[in-house]
Amino acid sequence: MIKVLFTGLTRNRKALIGMIIIAFIVVVALAAPLLTEYNPASRVGRPHQPPSADHWLGTTRIGQDVFSRLIHGAQTSLAVGFGAGLLITVLGTALGIIAGYRGGKTDEVISFFTNMVLVVPNLPLLLVLASFIGQASPLVIAIILGFTSWAWGARVTRAETLSIKHKDFIKSAEMMGEPRWRIMMFEIFPNLISIVGINFIGSVIFAIITEATLEFLGLGDPKTVSWGMMLYNAQKASALSVGAWWDILTPCFALALLGIGLSLLNFAVDEIANPRLRSGNRLNRWTALIRSGDGRL
Amino acid sequence: MAFLIRRFGFYLAAFIAAATINFFLPRLMPGDPIQIMFSSAGAELSPENLDALKLTFGFVDGPLWQQYLTYLQSIFTGDLGRSIKYFPLPVTSVLGNALIWTVGLMGTATIVSFTLGTFLGVLAAWRRGSVFDIVVSVGAIFATSVPAVVTSLIVLFFFGFTLGWFPTGYAADPSLDPSFSLTYIGSLLYHGILPMLTLCTVLTGGFAVTMRNNMINLLGEDYIVMGRAKGLSDSRVMLWYAARNALLPTVSSLAIAIGTVLGGSLVTEVVFNYPGLGNILYQAILARDYPVIQGQLLIMTVAMLIANFIVDVSYVLLDPRLRGTS
Amino acid sequence: MTQPLLSIKNLTIDYIGENTDFRAVDNVSFDVAAGEIFGLAGESGCGKSTIAFAISRLHKPPALIRSGQILLEGRDVLDLDIQALRSFRWREVAMVFQSAMNSLNPVLRVEAQFYDVLRTHQGMNRKQARERTAEMLRLVDIQPDRMSDYPHQFSGGMRQRIVIAICLALNPKIVVMDEPTTALDVVVQREILQRVNELRKKLGFSVLFITHDLGLMVQVCDRIGIMLEGKLVEQNTAQEIYASPQHDYTKKLWASFPSLHGSKTAEAFAS
Repeated sequence: MIKVLFTGLTRNRKALIGMIIIAFIVVVALAAPLLTEYNPASRVGRPHQPPSADHWLGTTRIGQDVFSRLIHGAQTSLAVGFGAGLLITVLGTALGIIAGYRGGKTDEVISFFTNMVLVVPNLPLLLVLASFIGQASPLVIAIILGFTSWAWGARVTRAETLSIKHKDFIKSAEMMGEPRWRIMMFEIFPNLISIVGINFIGSVIFAIITEATLEFLGLGDPKTVSWGMMLYNAQKASALSVGAWWDILTPCFALALLGIGLSLLNFAVDEIANPRLRSGNRLNRWTALIRSGDGRL
Repeated sequence: MAFLIRRFGFYLAAFIAAATINFFLPRLMPGDPIQIMFSSAGAELSPENLDALKLTFGFVDGPLWQQYLTYLQSIFTGDLGRSIKYFPLPVTSVLGNALIWTVGLMGTATIVSFTLGTFLGVLAAWRRGSVFDIVVSVGAIFATSVPAVVTSLIVLFFFGFTLGWFPTGYAADPSLDPSFSLTYIGSLLYHGILPMLTLCTVLTGGFAVTMRNNMINLLGEDYIVMGRAKGLSDSRVMLWYAARNALLPTVSSLAIAIGTVLGGSLVTEVVFNYPGLGNILYQAILARDYPVIQGQLLIMTVAMLIANFIVDVSYVLLDPRLRGTS
Repeated sequence: MTQPLLSIKNLTIDYIGENTDFRAVDNVSFDVAAGEIFGLAGESGCGKSTIAFAISRLHKPPALIRSGQILLEGRDVLDLDIQALRSFRWREVAMVFQSAMNSLNPVLRVEAQFYDVLRTHQGMNRKQARERTAEMLRLVDIQPDRMSDYPHQFSGGMRQRIVIAICLALNPKIVVMDEPTTALDVVVQREILQRVNELRKKLGFSVLFITHDLGLMVQVCDRIGIMLEGKLVEQNTAQEIYASPQHDYTKKLWASFPSLHGSKTAEAFAS
């Protein structure tokens, strides 16, 4: 299953474009100190300068270099995205597998909480949590995202677990007296790898979007260099009304690009996991044969 | 009937869960919870007013459970306390006024994008692999992966500021008095276009993908092949055999999507300076107006539960297998 | 011999793969006479269902007809344009599908699933359609007043009888039955096949009967074709297929039946 996923990913065009975009952003984020001489947090120029040779993407209201903030901010977005994404996925997968495999009371309790978390609206809940914490650093945001957003993953993982729980290989492992945690870890989990993958990538997208949203709404720590804080500061400085479009559109396009890269990957995993969604080459060949009169409908 | 009672029990539990979070959060923070809750009020709050607020939020002398019951009691009697920023306005009226705008914006956007997205998804799945399908699928990837904040800002930048076609804030021209006049309604629509456009862009793609995938998963079913074998018109099979059945899983996923709709709507309102809940909330966050921030969680939870109930009921109406023998 | 009702000539169908194709049906020819029950037997994956789908041109990508003819009363189905094909479907060839539980649209009332056929092909209004529906339901022993029920309110056997009633609503010339009873238990299976046989005698349609169950097939069919890996390896009358199978594969198929079943079939056949 894992092997199928990886060979599938290398052949899928969507996955390839997605991975190139993500790799590009990761490389730029890691190389940020080499790519710019400016400190992202300090004042290095006059306020609201349009893009120029000195400041490739202009400066902010208080004279920070936008390009420097962009590539340093990428580190934050990626770290929060992947960190929170991992936490969400681990929690969701573990709870889903346990609920699905153990069944009975355990399942009832976990499912009840899962469904409850699903109907409490996520953003309003995060707003309350973050506002009490005060100025939430990226790490704090990642942690509260992780602990409030696992429900969707738990639900789909549980459903998948239920569908494979009665398969022969699970039954035979039980007969051999394998302990339950081993069955869950080594028999069930590998078979859920594509649903876990979709959950993970989806959670990364969600975490990146939500971090930016919380910061944009004024719940971030002002000292943070991140795309969300760039949006917040630009909005507070009325960047659009004063015509400083570079200040606000830069983080916008960065978030859009990262989101699209991750989504492409997500759709690709979905296509590989669900063969019915695949079309690809065979359909093209089929159409070509009909067009050339080499076959009949 | 048993189904409805079970659902209501569940909704009640979810609502109490949200209230419990509200109750414990200030008490879990380091420091004096009363100080945390009402610090932003400064000296403006008279001792009597402060006492009334403390009572509402359960800061009474006595054990924790007694405080908790006091808080639940005030919530269930509809007392969410008073806004500190807009003192002495009660939280319910601050949020209530804003709620109308949010529900209007969100409701319309949900209906429009659900209808449009579902229809696009049906056609894309039916003409699998066609140019139309590719355009819809790729468009959906773009639309769903870009955060609502970003879409709002980009739409505002191009249509509001650069092209200047649409107003950049408010629900209607502030110089007009609200009335049922043509001018006022026209102004409402004119101001609503950009936020609506943004929300629909954000939402339509998701609905289209869901519907497309549900359709594709159904297309191999025997009853669809039989529909074709019966010599029915293409549109009859597509709509009444495939789409009508694919609508069921789509509707049930709508319940979860409503959370996203809510989040997107809050953010869009902030960007477009639209006088809905999102904007009130934004101001409340900047002013650390905790009674309002807490109150919105409860009101949003209720909104979410009502939406869930509507989805539950329409699901039952759509699926004859759940309607029982009638 | 007069002109056969259905004549499949040198039919070849491929499943198009990414690089290479899989030949599902390889140069198959057979005829079905008017009023005859012709059986097509073979293991799953031998191409028999692909033929069934191709007759009404219901096959979908990646299946592709590479060559051959499908003649119904001398007219090549493959030459029909979309309009003609639509009116050809169900009026001339009706079809019963494998899964009884799943061939009726779960969200439409039974009545509506008759009505759309009757309106599309014969322009009936609701009232006329209701009369015809009642008549057809009586034919398969289902109370006409249940026409306003939904499919899930019927048992598997009843659903399959409803499908058969819908099949016969337009008096088709041939009914293609693709493993029509595999999802049903043995008693219901027998009951349904007997019913089809009676109706055939009464209404005079032909049947193309497809199954992997050769024992069942010799009981109901006039003639039988045996398929192996896309090829038609043997075709003969049911008696001959049973009594003196020629091809090795046919013999192997018989050998795989438990002898108990074999003697039972023989009895049934003798009676």
